[in-house]
Amino acid sequence: MNWTDFLRFARGPLMGAALVVFAAGISYRLVRVVALGWSRGRAPARAADKTVGVLRTYLRGLGIFPFIPWVKQTFRGNAVTFLAGGLFHFGLLVIVFLGTAHMLVWKSLLGFGWPTVALPIIDGLAAATIVAMVALLINRLTHPVLRRLSGTSEFANLIVVFLPMLTGWIMAHHLWFRYEVIFGLHVASVALLLVWIPFSRLSHFVFYFFSRTSHGIEFGKRGVTP
Amino acid sequence: MKRETISEHLEAEGISRREFMSYCGVLAGALGLSQVAPLAASGLPADLGRPATVLQRNLTETVARALETKPRQPVIWLEFQDCAGCTEAITRSTSPTLVELILNKMALNYHETLFAAAGHQAEAARADAMEKYAGEYLLVVEGSVPVGDPGFCTIGGRTAEDILREAARGAAAVISVGSCASFGGLPAANPNPTGARSAADILSGTTVVNIPGCPAIPEATTGVLTHFLVFGELPELDDLNRPTAFYGTTIHDRCLRRPFYDEGKFANSFDDEGARKGWCLYKLGCKGPTTYNACAVLKWNGGVSFPIESGHPCLGCSQPDFWDNGGFYQGQSSIIGPPGLGSAATAVGIGAVVGAGVAAVNIAKRRDKGEDS
Ligand code: HEM
Ligand code: HEM
Ligand code: SF4
Ligand code: SF4
Repeated sequence: MNWTDFLRFARGPLMGAALVVFAAGISYRLVRVVALGWSRGRAPARAADKTVGVLRTYLRGLGIFPFIPWVKQTFRGNAVTFLAGGLFHFGLLVIVFLGTAHMLVWKSLLGFGWPTVALPIIDGLAAATIVAMVALLINRLTHPVLRRLSGTSEFANLIVVFLPMLTGWIMAHHLWFRYEVIFGLHVASVALLLVWIPFSRLSHFVFYFFSRTSHGIEFGKRGVTP
Repeated sequence: MKRETISEHLEAEGISRREFMSYCGVLAGALGLSQVAPLAASGLPADLGRPATVLQRNLTETVARALETKPRQPVIWLEFQDCAGCTEAITRSTSPTLVELILNKMALNYHETLFAAAGHQAEAARADAMEKYAGEYLLVVEGSVPVGDPGFCTIGGRTAEDILREAARGAAAVISVGSCASFGGLPAANPNPTGARSAADILSGTTVVNIPGCPAIPEATTGVLTHFLVFGELPELDDLNRPTAFYGTTIHDRCLRRPFYDEGKFANSFDDEGARKGWCLYKLGCKGPTTYNACAVLKWNGGVSFPIESGHPCLGCSQPDFWDNGGFYQGQSSIIGPPGLGSAATAVGIGAVVGAGVAAVNIAKRRDKGEDS
């Protein structure tokens, strides 16, 4: 198999398989999490406005500036995680949804497209995101507490997200590889990411909303927490 | 028997020394393409101009020397499952001198479309040429070979595969012209009803030069023929056996719309403002970034234009299996044949069932232990 064949394989059967595994995996995880059930409230709440609680939790989550009192706490805890992590997530979302090549991927799946952001902006953001990811990795390796908290899977998570980022950037800059080679590797690394997500903590992009919502419900309750 | 040299042959045809040298210049031009990168040969950019002229003069002398010493180059041109488009492209190319020169004066012994003879007479001529020039002739293949059902292409009662194998045995080199012969092309497009294969697939073990394109750029074809004529060997090839002189860079690398790509200025339809302003055609499905060919430099119709310049995205016609590489107007990053709603639903269902099963087992276990959940 030459690289031209590999690219076609990656864009076709490999991505197809990865998408199917991704869908099955996320559905599996969702069912598992839902089946965990809710712990029974042992002390009846005096008053519960769940909706307000949930809304407030999400609104608080949106406030990301370090001068806000409760954010300050998190920020002091580990500024690198906060800043680099934030930048990384922002970059990731913009690149994956508003990069022209990526919008065309969504279009091929959904049937419709949307306006995109100019390449130089995406490119600058990609560079910043890559730097942010390296910072996150170094931070994980050097921070005394984080280091102890991190196992193989934490590092693997970072690397599996890092690979598409890096190969995409190299491809856009036409560096070192022939285009079809790095294109094939880029798509293959995305396939790996897709398969990895459901079975790792990267699935937090779904479960984040679960935990925020359930926390919100709890916060909405008033009364004694047993 | 000593065969007459090319220059002797031309002289016998009444061609003066002066004309001969000007022919050599034309040929050197074609060679220049295969010697320097296509960019230099196109005369661009200006600073490459001077060295190119020097090289050109040296090449003219090299060519003249070769033609004075070498006999005519026999060529056998076979057509299988093709549309003759590659032949058409050559015969209608705007460098008729070159084509005339190569295909009439210096070479060619058998060509189904261009041959005056027909039927058994033509077949006899081919057999003759193959015997007389065994080990010397160039074999050019146009069109793909049906292996699945050989009945789709037979000539004189013999299958294409049989003819190709026989002709390749005595060939000095084999050259596939066009995407059909190089990679299967249109006949091999899904579902490939004839079981079409490329010449290289059939002749595994032989180096087959691929000059893909639908049709192949005539200057690339004549350039390779000229190279063999002058140097007696094949030009440098890449991993898909394409001559690097013509297939060394992608369309995107040399595209006149590239600055717009880099700025992120795209046409969103064929008649919006972006299209009128000549912006990049990436969103309209351009395959330029992964397509290796010389269109952006040599262009078509004698350098008049090429598809992207005229407002149409590159289809990637010189890449393997370009018919099955996603829709022509679909972005080239799109997923090819993505799983449909059906398989997505099945996947979600399987995930849910397995998840529910595992959860049920866990709950049952917990209950056995008498835990309260
Ligand atoms: C099937 C999915 C994907 C496909 C087909 C795809 C394809 C592409 C293509 C064609 C480019 C443009 C390169 C160029 O301008 O020459 C690109 C760039 C890029 N991709 Fe992807 N991509 C996919 C998913 C992803 C994902 C999930 C990520 C991140 C985790 C990612 C990160 C990047 C980055 C960082 C760039 C470089 C942007 C720049 O520097 O201009 N891609 N990708
Ligand atoms: C709406 C979507 C998302 C939200 C709200 C979100 C939220 C978060 C939060 C709160 C953290 C910090 C957790 C911690 O420090 O332990 C985090 C970490 C992380 N997220 Fe996300 N995330 C989202 C999407 C994604 C996606 C799609 C990916 C990759 C495919 C991703 C990759 C990561 C990685 C690799 C980390 C760990 C960073 C580190 O090593 O410090 N996130 N995310
Ligand atoms: S490559 Fe295209 S033009 Fe050439 S024979 Fe095949 S279908 Fe015709
Ligand atoms: S029109 Fe095609 S080849 Fe030209 S710059 Fe745009 S994507 Fe590249």
